[in-house]
Amino acid sequence: MSDRLLDGLTSRRAGIALLAVTLCLPPFYLDAFWLRIGLFSMAAAIGAVGLALLTGTAGQLSLGHAFFLAVGAYGYVWLAGEPGPGLPPGLAALLAVLLAGAAGGLFSPVAGRVRGIYLGIATLALVFLGHHVLLTADSVTGGFNGRSVPPLTLGGFTFGAGDPELTVLGVPFGAEERLWFLGLALFAFTWFTARGLLRGRPGRALAALRDSETAAGVMGVDVARHRSAAFVVSSLYAGLAGVLLALAFRRVVPDYFSLALSVDYLAMIVIGGLGSVAGATAGAVFVTALPLLMTRYADQLPLVTAPGSAEGFVGPTEAARYLYGAAIVLVLLYAPDGLHGIVRRARDRVRLRRPRTPGTDPVTSPPQPAAAARSKEHTP
Amino acid sequence: MNLTHHRHRNRRRTTGAVLAGTLALLLAATGCSSKAGGGNGGGAAADGVRTGPGVDARTIKLGALTDLTGPYATLGKSLVQAQQMWADETNAKGGICDRTVEIVVKDHGYDVQKAVTAYADISPDVVALPQVIGSPVVAALLDDIERDRMLTFPQAWAASLLGKDAVQVLGTTYDVDMIAAVDFLTRDKGLKKGDTIGHVYFEGDYGANALEGSTWAARKAGLKVTGQKIQATDTDLSAQVSALHKEGVKAVLISAGPAQTASLVGVAASRGLRVPVVSSAPGFAPQLMKTPAAPALAAMLHIVSAAPAVSSDLPGVQRMVASYQKKYPDSPVDSGVLSGYNAAQLIGADLKKACEAGGLTREDVVKAHRSQKNADTGLGTAQNFSDIDRPASTETYVLRPDAKAVGGVVNAEDAHTAPGVEDYLATR
Repeated sequence: MSDRLLDGLTSRRAGIALLAVTLCLPPFYLDAFWLRIGLFSMAAAIGAVGLALLTGTAGQLSLGHAFFLAVGAYGYVWLAGEPGPGLPPGLAALLAVLLAGAAGGLFSPVAGRVRGIYLGIATLALVFLGHHVLLTADSVTGGFNGRSVPPLTLGGFTFGAGDPELTVLGVPFGAEERLWFLGLALFAFTWFTARGLLRGRPGRALAALRDSETAAGVMGVDVARHRSAAFVVSSLYAGLAGVLLALAFRRVVPDYFSLALSVDYLAMIVIGGLGSVAGATAGAVFVTALPLLMTRYADQLPLVTAPGSAEGFVGPTEAARYLYGAAIVLVLLYAPDGLHGIVRRARDRVRLRRPRTPGTDPVTSPPQPAAAARSKEHTP
Repeated sequence: MNLTHHRHRNRRRTTGAVLAGTLALLLAATGCSSKAGGGNGGGAAADGVRTGPGVDARTIKLGALTDLTGPYATLGKSLVQAQQMWADETNAKGGICDRTVEIVVKDHGYDVQKAVTAYADISPDVVALPQVIGSPVVAALLDDIERDRMLTFPQAWAASLLGKDAVQVLGTTYDVDMIAAVDFLTRDKGLKKGDTIGHVYFEGDYGANALEGSTWAARKAGLKVTGQKIQATDTDLSAQVSALHKEGVKAVLISAGPAQTASLVGVAASRGLRVPVVSSAPGFAPQLMKTPAAPALAAMLHIVSAAPAVSSDLPGVQRMVASYQKKYPDSPVDSGVLSGYNAAQLIGADLKKACEAGGLTREDVVKAHRSQKNADTGLGTAQNFSDIDRPASTETYVLRPDAKAVGGVVNAEDAHTAPGVEDYLATR
């Protein structure tokens, strides 16, 4: 039995190693367009994981995610830039993440009092407030035109073009290539910390809160503390995503951090599957990369004309929107539990088939503890 | 037990082999990665012209980051079609520098993230951007454009875009337009010292810059400006009209979009606030003359613009309108057509000049552009691009809506520099 487990663990470890190697390769092949899509996806994934914790696991609807992303992004730009304290960028990034967490902490008394859709509306106010401040507080945010983002420097190494010039295996490493690895590292950090949280006691407590506060309270979960902690942690992840987004954009503008962005993040966690880290990641890639890729390649489809030509009915952007809309509908129709649900069901099916192969115990193996915990989290 | 043990080791060996195999394969393939080594770092073509990104021995590629599906879709379509027409005409005449001109169009639908990705997509393959729509888009791309030294003509006219070597605001800036508007009101509409003007403006750099101009000019003329800030999503201006009515304004300036202009003028007319209204150039579209607000617009509105009306009798404009109507019979001819064609012609002139100087790299194109002191395309006034801190032109036309004219407007006053503009530019 333990042998089987070990067996599974090694193949699992090999899988992770393979995945890590594969994820390290794109900078060597793909051009800036693809790398930017990848960077945006990674940043979105980090932010979506935060929202998945808050909305998916703890059941607190938040439409204010764009605000916390903005706090992270602008916080970094202000702290590391001129005008501003001009701190070392590494420190500024850390402080920006903490600042976003603090913003979440300040809002958490509200989150402690209001529930469900009412909380959603309350957080909506944050987005509008934030957008207004971004436009008007010129000296900090640069107003409508935003501010350029100082590149991140860690120990003399700049995550930007040049300084020092870097060529790896004959491939010149510019800003996108370097940021890719930073994004991967931050994403890996998010992945493991968030999974640790979700699978540990805090995750169970939050899930219990979502299902019934009374029951959770009776079991000894400190309701108010956990609710506000969920908000703070979610804001911390949003802040981290904001910093990475700012670095990928190289210039932050207020119009990006609008209500539409918050809605996008909600779409990510719903499409991915509520309450799991992998689901949020899949949803983030789906929502971020798909429209960009479809817009880019829609002109290869039949009946789609080049943008701006007089004849024809649909341009690539329109076609991409139709396809994107259709994709969302299909996912929600055939996988109500999200992309993560599809994968889980496929895996279960494979697992059910496997015991029939000779040489294994005739008894169906009990589900691995991790999988059991996850599937429990998934029950809506 | 032994069996499983064996299997286990076997499995481990397989995964290890798979891992090593993939790694080796991928690393070997890095050798074939098109990114490795050099790339198109530029050089000289066979005819001795220095070339860089976007230019090879046969083609010159220009980029357009436009909005064909968002709020500025009508404008975007006009611009794209006008510039395509220019490219076709130029190629029919043998192209530029013995190369054909090609315009790569990317539609971002007024979405900053899409625009930034589209820029990363096309920037390695184009030499200049004769069209970028959307102030937030321009703002987000400013640093990249400066770093890539990519000559760019944004479809935005805020003074904050001045002072950047590679970015060229064509014509006048919003503040200069509003100084001309205040001058028009005092000169032609009889506003006197002590009168109050209302200024309805968009939140953001468009409105802020316009307000700067109107406030400065009003102070000079002894007028008072009362501002009404609105958002792009506000399309019913009843509240603003009531407020202005209460203030007793003698004239209204508006720096917003066409929908807001129509609402403002329509509501003001119906409530008896019959005062002259002057709009910034983006605040009017010919489609407005088909709405119920048309009579009120014709009676009350004027537009200040760096470009003449498309119905004007300038030979260059008439020629362009005729060929545009022939090529795109179903499309309306609006100011977007004129500004798009004008921008394309200016880029064409820059490319020609750069070619004569022996190079078509991005630096060469920017240098050629900055050496143009008197660029006249015959589509309005001449422009001076040599001073990056000054608007390319200070001359403005005053236009008047006319439902019967092509493009819905006619020239009311010919191009001239409003008094005080020079003083204003000196103080800024």
